[in-house]
Amino acid sequence: MATALPPPPALSFPRPIFAALSPHPFLQAHLLSSTKSPLRANGRQPSDFRSLGVNPGSLTHCHGSAVVRSGNTSVVCGVRAEILREEDVAGTGSYGTKSTSEQDNDDNMDDEADDDEDDAEEIADLRLLVPNLELSTGSTPLNLPGTAPSAAAQTLITRLHALLLATRLVRAADLRIAHTPRVNAEDPDTTPLRTVKGYWVLYIDVFFISLDGNAFDAAWLAMLAALGGTRLPRAFWDEELEMVLCDDDVALARGLRLRGLPVPSTFAVFEGRAEDEDVGDGARNWVLSDPDAFEEAVCRETVTVVVDRGGVVRKIEKSGGGVVGREGMRDCVERSIGRWGVWEEVLRKA
Amino acid sequence: MAPGAILSHLHRADGSATYTHNGYSIIGAVNGPVEVLRRDEMPEEATVEVNIRPAFGVGGPKERHLESLLHSTLRSIILTRSIPRTLVQITLQVSSLPEEEASTRVNSSLTLLPHLLHTSLLALLSASIPLSTTLTSALIAVPAHKSDPKLAVPLLSPTAANLLRAAPIQSTHVFAFSGDRRLLLNESEGAFSYEEWEEACEMAEESCCKEGGGGVDIGEGMEVDGQQGNLEAWLREVVRRKVGEEQRWRVAT
Repeated sequence: MATALPPPPALSFPRPIFAALSPHPFLQAHLLSSTKSPLRANGRQPSDFRSLGVNPGSLTHCHGSAVVRSGNTSVVCGVRAEILREEDVAGTGSYGTKSTSEQDNDDNMDDEADDDEDDAEEIADLRLLVPNLELSTGSTPLNLPGTAPSAAAQTLITRLHALLLATRLVRAADLRIAHTPRVNAEDPDTTPLRTVKGYWVLYIDVFFISLDGNAFDAAWLAMLAALGGTRLPRAFWDEELEMVLCDDDVALARGLRLRGLPVPSTFAVFEGRAEDEDVGDGARNWVLSDPDAFEEAVCRETVTVVVDRGGVVRKIEKSGGGVVGREGMRDCVERSIGRWGVWEEVLRKA
Repeated sequence: MAPGAILSHLHRADGSATYTHNGYSIIGAVNGPVEVLRRDEMPEEATVEVNIRPAFGVGGPKERHLESLLHSTLRSIILTRSIPRTLVQITLQVSSLPEEEASTRVNSSLTLLPHLLHTSLLALLSASIPLSTTLTSALIAVPAHKSDPKLAVPLLSPTAANLLRAAPIQSTHVFAFSGDRRLLLNESEGAFSYEEWEEACEMAEESCCKEGGGGVDIGEGMEVDGQQGNLEAWLREVVRRKVGEEQRWRVAT
């Protein structure tokens, strides 16, 4: 025969087809390939995080902004401040009385001075921090454009907002616009009382350009970097015009003094399946740091640990399965404490 | 106070339960296994859908977050692979909250979460959905202690009034354990160390899971001195009553 036979069909699938057809065995085969140092499908070890890139101050029309990249997840965050006038505040203005003893913020730049002030209530009740999150068209195949925010996006917003409030990251003192009249109208002899004339409300918009897993950590890093670079113009109450005015002078603008540096680390738990159902005992589990989208689709149990300065845990969220117990959590907390240093360095250098 | 539970009181739903504890009251209904929308159908397992309706107003992002927590937790205990291509729909309506709830300054999703988990489990039991294990959940609040944080005594399943009295609260933890003592869900908030978390976890495990080598019926004696009953024992008692009611026709009068 002159014509050569066509090559026989290959008995093995190429890598991407294997991953798409049976993602679970694909990842398990990767993790089982080497007993000493198991590698994930993306080439990282189970405890490896992705490297971070932070680019602060990228948007010109915001008071603070950042573009953040972690692997193939990239996020833009912009902080826009708007003024909430005191007469528009619902309810009573009982919060302002707390600040009467406080001097002007400009000469009170000591970080620890009002660290203990309990202002969580004020920020929560007046809704001075408004995070919002949007997944751009095409950022992830799971996101259908043109529909209402998905349950996943709403969950993320709730978690980000809860973390903002629970860690008391932003000080209410930085957001108050206070005014001390020259003379006390009621009794000219006594020193006039300082009153709050308004608040800065921070609209924190997080926009995902592309989403390759671990949306929460990336969104929080973008928010931290944007809030860290936020500069609010000096706002003051003009007695003659009876309104809040802002100063043009850039030199008088103030930054926010953030409390601590809460750093979240997310883990996904990959539950291995025994190859032979009868043997049963062969199943192993892996805790994967910083999962990408492929791993998130395969793993059901996720753990998020938020660690602050000095190894204080601020938040633990765990759901979806029962693999990580008390011992597993110790490991997760240790990995998160190690991760804190990386974030601190990245944000300091940015 | 042990929680109160009424099972199968809604006649149109496949399973239902009303759960009352510490001033919280939640009605849960389960329909399933029913036909699933083509879009949500999964070839190898059942789709679980959780809907939470708040006590007032319409659900917002907070409810979506609670729904996703419940969804991932319940999906891990429902034997979804034994009823593939079907839908299990769980609807939870919060019908009353304690009066002091709004003023406790504790994240209200955390205080509500254990009650939602219990209600959904009871409704699933009432609907006879195949489950791999049961689930019990508890809230732990650690009050702030000014001089020495080690002296702070964690509160187990505090009422809203307890929380108000113990304010300020340093950290709040919600734990859910499966019947075989695995930690299914944990939500912790505040400032705490790993050791404090572990202590809270042990405390919750003790109250959620039955004592080692159990099997003794302590249904009647579980509220000695008004103490907190063991939740596993409580759950067993609820199921025993349910089975007893269903087997009435067999019992000779």
